[in-house]
Amino acid sequence: MRTTNHVVRKRLFIALLLGLLLFGALLARLGYVQLVRGPWLQEKAEELWTRDIPFEGNRGRILDRNGKVMAYNISAPSVLAIPAQIKDPKVTARALAQILLAPEDKIFQLITKRELIVRINPYGRKLSEERAKAVHDLRLPGIAIAEDNKRYYPMGTMAAHILGFAGIDNQGLAGLELVYDKRLQGKRGHVSYSANAKGERLPGSADQYTPPTDGLDLELTLDKSIQAYIEREMDQAMAQYQAENIMVIAMNPKTGEILGMGSRPTFHPSDFRKVDPLIYNRNLPIWRTYEPGSTFKIITLAAALEEKKVNLGSYFYDPGYIKVAGARLRCWKHGGHGSETFLEVVENSCNPGFVTMGQRLGEEKLFSYIRKFGFGEKTGIDLNGEAKGILFTPEQAGPVELATTSFGQGVSVTPIQQVSAVAAAVNGGKLMQPHLEKAWINPDTNKVVEEIRPQLKRRVISESTSEQVRTALESVVARGTGRKAFIDGYRVGGKTGTAQKVGPDGRYMKNNHIVSFIGFAPADDPQLVVYVAVDNPKGVQFGGVVAAPIVKEILGDSLRHLKVPKRKKQISPENSPLEAPIITIPNLVGSDLDELRTSLEDIELQVRGKGNKVISQTPKPGQRVKKGTPIRIYLGDQ
Amino acid sequence: MPDLHTRRSPDFIIIIVIMMLLTLGVVMVYSASAAYSLHKFGDSFFYAKRQLLFAGVGVFLMFLVSKMDAKLFRLWAKPLLIICFILLVMVLIPGLGILRNGARSWLGIGAFSIQPSEFTKLAVIFFLARYLSRRAGEIQTLRYGMMYPLGIAGSAFALIMMQPDLGTGTVMMGTAIVLIYIAGARMKYLAALMGLGMAGFAGLVLAAPYRIKRITAFLDPWQDPLNAGYQIIQSLFAIGPGGLMGLGLGMSRQKHLYLPEPHTDFIFSILAEELGFIGAGTAIILFAILIWRGIRVAITLPDMFFSLIAAGVTGMIAIQAVINIGVVSGAFPVTGITLPFLSYGGSSLTLTLVAVGILLNLSRYTDG
Repeated sequence: MRTTNHVVRKRLFIALLLGLLLFGALLARLGYVQLVRGPWLQEKAEELWTRDIPFEGNRGRILDRNGKVMAYNISAPSVLAIPAQIKDPKVTARALAQILLAPEDKIFQLITKRELIVRINPYGRKLSEERAKAVHDLRLPGIAIAEDNKRYYPMGTMAAHILGFAGIDNQGLAGLELVYDKRLQGKRGHVSYSANAKGERLPGSADQYTPPTDGLDLELTLDKSIQAYIEREMDQAMAQYQAENIMVIAMNPKTGEILGMGSRPTFHPSDFRKVDPLIYNRNLPIWRTYEPGSTFKIITLAAALEEKKVNLGSYFYDPGYIKVAGARLRCWKHGGHGSETFLEVVENSCNPGFVTMGQRLGEEKLFSYIRKFGFGEKTGIDLNGEAKGILFTPEQAGPVELATTSFGQGVSVTPIQQVSAVAAAVNGGKLMQPHLEKAWINPDTNKVVEEIRPQLKRRVISESTSEQVRTALESVVARGTGRKAFIDGYRVGGKTGTAQKVGPDGRYMKNNHIVSFIGFAPADDPQLVVYVAVDNPKGVQFGGVVAAPIVKEILGDSLRHLKVPKRKKQISPENSPLEAPIITIPNLVGSDLDELRTSLEDIELQVRGKGNKVISQTPKPGQRVKKGTPIRIYLGDQ
Repeated sequence: MPDLHTRRSPDFIIIIVIMMLLTLGVVMVYSASAAYSLHKFGDSFFYAKRQLLFAGVGVFLMFLVSKMDAKLFRLWAKPLLIICFILLVMVLIPGLGILRNGARSWLGIGAFSIQPSEFTKLAVIFFLARYLSRRAGEIQTLRYGMMYPLGIAGSAFALIMMQPDLGTGTVMMGTAIVLIYIAGARMKYLAALMGLGMAGFAGLVLAAPYRIKRITAFLDPWQDPLNAGYQIIQSLFAIGPGGLMGLGLGMSRQKHLYLPEPHTDFIFSILAEELGFIGAGTAIILFAILIWRGIRVAITLPDMFFSLIAAGVTGMIAIQAVINIGVVSGAFPVTGITLPFLSYGGSSLTLTLVAVGILLNLSRYTDG
């Protein structure tokens, strides 16, 4: 044999060893994939092999605090197509198109999609029972009728911004429907089956059914009756004043529970598609920020009382203005209120008096109370889109800023902030968390699964300070600028406000105000705080004239509905209705309109003509008339 | 060569192993293709019947070849290669070559078509065995030990890649290099060849970076589960859930159209899924036994030409099996290559059996 054969044999042997090594490696790799990675691969592959046909759970209902239904589901079946199982798409499309009154080519496109399950959107969604039955009776292979629901809002536009709405696939899109979507939705169930790569059912494979879980019912703090009063009053006021917006909040001051809340313009939750999204996206009572005006004086008062910087019985002299850092800040009343007690300062809503309170507190204390009352931060109410408002920062706050803040100018707040702050001022001093969620109820057992307890955010003022504030504000209604909110026996307290609006250019707008009133009752044990703000009412109007009567209506109806007993003792109104007091008509001729607005909080004006200045008035100045007689003014430009 | 006149009986172990692999193959082709062929032809036995026929023809040819006079192999070596080169050129001509799955690899009409590249594998083994045994004295030189034999194999590779058929080309080239190594070429040159190969690969990747994605997809197929990683994932979804014992014969889920053509390149995945680690491991061990017996034949043959032919045939089957199993188990990048004896395919099965027939033939001349 040749010598090379020795090399060849050696190399053959090495090749054999290498070959066997490679096969050993393959065996190891096989073992790794099958024995080590097997379970993981099995799990991953399981997703591939099984196909799910989903079953929706019922969306939870939304109830008011007394169990009245505000949103529920009505049965509305939908058509499902399983394209892999459709034998003849053409015939199927034609038959479906006839019943669903839809274009045949669209249906054909949908049912020939390369998807596991196709919903016939929108033609085959949320059908009437008859139409669904007609589809079912065709018994088309690959076409199924799935139980489906349609959200229904039986109260129409009532509480639309609070409830929001849910979309076609049981998904919350706005309002509480969105905030609590997860819990309302429940859990989707499904039927699983094994399928080949084309989605066809494997012969002999067993189905697995996982039932859906219904969503929980949500009970709200809302009281449907109180909400109805609010809606009624808003509609009336819109008709009467043709305002841009109206915002109303009714809250239980002790718990922070929202009993009613609404705004205009509004929308119908079932028809949200036809509405400008700005209308449903802006929930004005929590979104809108503006200068509160005089209602904010309650905060100044509470702070000054708590810090013992003021005694309601002590005297103050109002010359009609107050000088701050060289600037003259005028009182709304020409010539001022003269000598008055601080209680009268509150009753008269006297600006120099409140500036004095603010000055006595000092910038740091006043702003610290404002923040403690919850301004400058979100209240955390369980709705989306809440605003924070704007306060002066410590660097910005000079003497003038301190002074204007004392009577509610130069700060920007939301209605909900005002309501929860005033609630804290009158409920004994506790800032409560405003909320709408009251309880979650299992729809099957009707048992409460979870109850939401009132939540104290912090104590702001003492019980006794709060009592003084209540008394002072009751006095405002009984004897001061809030007379139009007086309800005999219910001891209403409250405060008017006229807020100036800031225009797009950053300046105050002319002839455009938000007039408001915040009221509560009964003053000895407040059960309800009601805030009403009317944005830009037609004509020259004041909070005391426009908003106070609305608060009175809502408070009166609500207290009766809540069966709050009438009180025997109350601060007697300045005058009994029978003998209306006689007042002297002030001279308005020559005043300009904006001046009037901030100066006459409780006189009804009837405007004639157009312009910025008053050129004439009846009754004439100096005439003595019964209080409550409207003054007719004639406007012109000079 | 006096020993060549004393014939013994062929290697019985090889015959047993081949019969076992073939049986397993027909059963698995049936099981793997049943759903697919029912879907495609309305007959779940479509592929199984054909595979059984090919196996029968192949086994007949195997025994026929095993009884031939081995001296003829030396005469065939050159003309066989020339014929194959002619066929390889013909197959590239549109109209003559039939285009299937994007490659022009088939010649002939319908069921009577052949793949010249399959025959080329065998022809190159024959030719190189003849050449290298004749040049045994100069095997250490660069020219006769490397350049010429590589040139021949490289031209065949180039023609095959023009179809293109990377799988067959790789197996053919790999077999050629194994033969050159066994014949005794200098290790220095072989190392240089390896370096050159790597540089060429790097060049290809740099020239078209998208390739690297296809090539590296096997490392983490889940990065691109729908494209580059799809086949690997589907294959792993078959092999992994098979576990130790398998789902049982016929119980594969991945054959239900998840794995493309589960009876050809991915038959091993279905085997692993249905018969588990025990079944698939047995197949690997059967291949290992075949390699052992084949190399044993090569080592004990007294003539270098025959020795190289035996080694070439064994190496060809080994390389093909290693690549196929490596690919389907996610150890190598995807290359379209069938598993000898198990995968469906007439041309390749009969040819492989003919190759085994040659091995059996030679096993009768061993002196060990």
